[in-house]
Amino acid sequence: MKKALALIFVVFLFSVQLLNSYGIQRFPKPEFESGYIQPETLLPSPRAEVLAIMDIAVLILSLSVVSWLVIKKRNRNGVFWMSLFALAYFGFYREGCICSIGSIQNVTLALFDKSYLISLSALIFFVAPLVYTLFFGRTFCAAVCPFGAIQDLVAFSPQKLGSRINAVLGVIPYIYLGLAVLYAATGTDFIICRYDPFVGIWRLDASFGMFVFGGLLLVTGIFIARPYCRFLCPYGVLLNWVSRFSRKHLTITPSNCIQCRLCENSCPYDAIDMPVTTKNPDDKRTMGRKLIFITFLIPILMLAGGWAGSRLHEPLAGVNAKVRLAKQILNPVTGKDQTETFEIQAFKSQGKQQKQVFAEASEVLHKFYIGSWILGGFIGLVFGGLIAGWLITKHRTDYTPNKGTCFSCVRCVDYCPVKME
Amino acid sequence: MKQKIIIISALLLLLALVAFMVKDFFFNKPGDNNPYKFELENIRKGDTSMTAYSETGQIKTSLAEIHGIATDNSGNIYVAGKDGVEVFDASGIAVNKFKIEGIAQSIAVVDNDNLFLGMLDHIEIFDKNGKQISKWNSCGEDAVITSIAVKGNDVFAADAGQKVVYRFDLKGNLINKIGLKDPATGVPGFIIPSPYFDLGIRKDGNLWVVNPGRHSFEKYAFDGTLLTSWTKASMAMEGFCGCCNPSNFAFLNDSLFVTSEKAIERVKVYKTDGSFVCVVATPDQFEEGTKGLDLAVDNQNRILVLDPAKMLVRIFELKKQ
Repeated sequence: MKKALALIFVVFLFSVQLLNSYGIQRFPKPEFESGYIQPETLLPSPRAEVLAIMDIAVLILSLSVVSWLVIKKRNRNGVFWMSLFALAYFGFYREGCICSIGSIQNVTLALFDKSYLISLSALIFFVAPLVYTLFFGRTFCAAVCPFGAIQDLVAFSPQKLGSRINAVLGVIPYIYLGLAVLYAATGTDFIICRYDPFVGIWRLDASFGMFVFGGLLLVTGIFIARPYCRFLCPYGVLLNWVSRFSRKHLTITPSNCIQCRLCENSCPYDAIDMPVTTKNPDDKRTMGRKLIFITFLIPILMLAGGWAGSRLHEPLAGVNAKVRLAKQILNPVTGKDQTETFEIQAFKSQGKQQKQVFAEASEVLHKFYIGSWILGGFIGLVFGGLIAGWLITKHRTDYTPNKGTCFSCVRCVDYCPVKME
Repeated sequence: MKQKIIIISALLLLLALVAFMVKDFFFNKPGDNNPYKFELENIRKGDTSMTAYSETGQIKTSLAEIHGIATDNSGNIYVAGKDGVEVFDASGIAVNKFKIEGIAQSIAVVDNDNLFLGMLDHIEIFDKNGKQISKWNSCGEDAVITSIAVKGNDVFAADAGQKVVYRFDLKGNLINKIGLKDPATGVPGFIIPSPYFDLGIRKDGNLWVVNPGRHSFEKYAFDGTLLTSWTKASMAMEGFCGCCNPSNFAFLNDSLFVTSEKAIERVKVYKTDGSFVCVVATPDQFEEGTKGLDLAVDNQNRILVLDPAKMLVRIFELKKQ
């Protein structure tokens, strides 16, 4: 019933958005002789400051309310309705911009490009969820992020994937984060925004390919709950790290776990750590060997990753506009039916020197060389961490939410027979 | 088992989505997704359901360039172009050819078999044997006479260069100009970005002129009074599109308009009120980039399309079914 109401609400939001985006493609009639002067192309004016502050206020308020609902009230219904609010406000009303996930790129660009001034809202949207996560776990993911909200709505038949699959697929967000930072730092592209699967849905203006992309992700979400959050979201990586140190994190039971196992299958995101009571735990010597192995393995993987990354710096830089232009100048298109690319035409019309283009491209390539070393090293570290996680067995006696991967959605709480006094 | 299939399918879908991102970002060639690319492929595709005519014949011309076509009451076909005029009978056999000096952009045949040729900036009159009868004064150094029509003692000439229609008497004296922009009388003025500007006179005595920049047909009295107009601007088959279309037209059965367009080369039929009737020829029947598909209708109601790219007179007839 609750989900049906929510779906009706989303349909309503869609219909409102449809009205907004309704328009007829008019054929532009030429008016060459009427004295009409074509207006200069203008950039859209920035969002009014007061509205930007309102966005920040709504974000902070939402984070506060959701954190209170999660930690204090342990109220799933409240979290659910707050997620719908987030979907309406940050999704359909704000049309997915600005969002915390994309703000990674704004922050990165601001750090690497002195000429870029980050807006206050971008900065707050980046920092605030991290701060709240540090105190209360990933309450942002629970019901403030519209990405999570829309995926939560379609999670009709979530399947358990198993820890190995979760771990392997869980590497993807790290790679995505690394690439997003690399491309933002080099001023190449904001790939998180480029492949935002839902922004086209909020705005109803995506290309066909991106509509299909977003739609298929939602279809996947029927069986694999929140696939974007778990296996793609680069901001989730940061939240995961920070959440591990969260001061107060949601617990399944408000008191002592009675090992009833009722919550065992309650989490659609496989984020509940089961008790691990191995009969033969590693002795100190074995553990020591494993630690030494990991201590050597991780730097090797990082070096290998860095070296492999550096070998790939040219293909990685190939999408940079300056590098691409330089390549096109060096290897112009000469096919029978092919004409010059738009980039070459634009370059020629600017009257720029080729030497200057090559110098700029060379500078970008150098940045990519360094960035690719770091990216490769980072990916090596992630794989090292993954192997370490498999080798080192943590011993647990209770059912506990994994502080890194738990979205604090509070579903599991309802399954726990132990109630707050 | 069923659960495993679901999980594997969902995982494969997820991986496919990741693969899509990687492929799209790293392997798509620049320009593959150019949002500003002017896509005409779909519009160029022929829609046979709307096509009521079929091509039944072709006449090969021998002039260096061909620009204008006209027919007479006997069904003879006159083609004018660079340095000459060629005459064919209704079956397509060449019956005459004579030289002229320069390029004839347009041609009109009157009942007494005199030919009026629009020679860029002036009009020349020839008899049917190719003897020059008269040569009128230049209409101005910017003049480009793209169409001529004759009715009684009035000769109308469309000047694409100066964006006006002249009304002359048979001796070449200017009587009045038609179509000059005049907000007081509601004349919008002709918008002619390229030198394709056609006119014609129906048997009811009214002058119809294409206003290509507005995608309109305008009906004028001989004194220049604007009587009515219709506009059909659309990217769909039922309308005209581009900077300036239609480029040419002719009357069919004296009640229908046959129109031709450039850029998206097609020939269509409209009613007097501008409602779309059918397609005569679709873009895929022409070479891309063909311009100046001048039109004429003969005494058998065959539509004659002058194809300057293929140097042909192409004959279209109503399908039997």
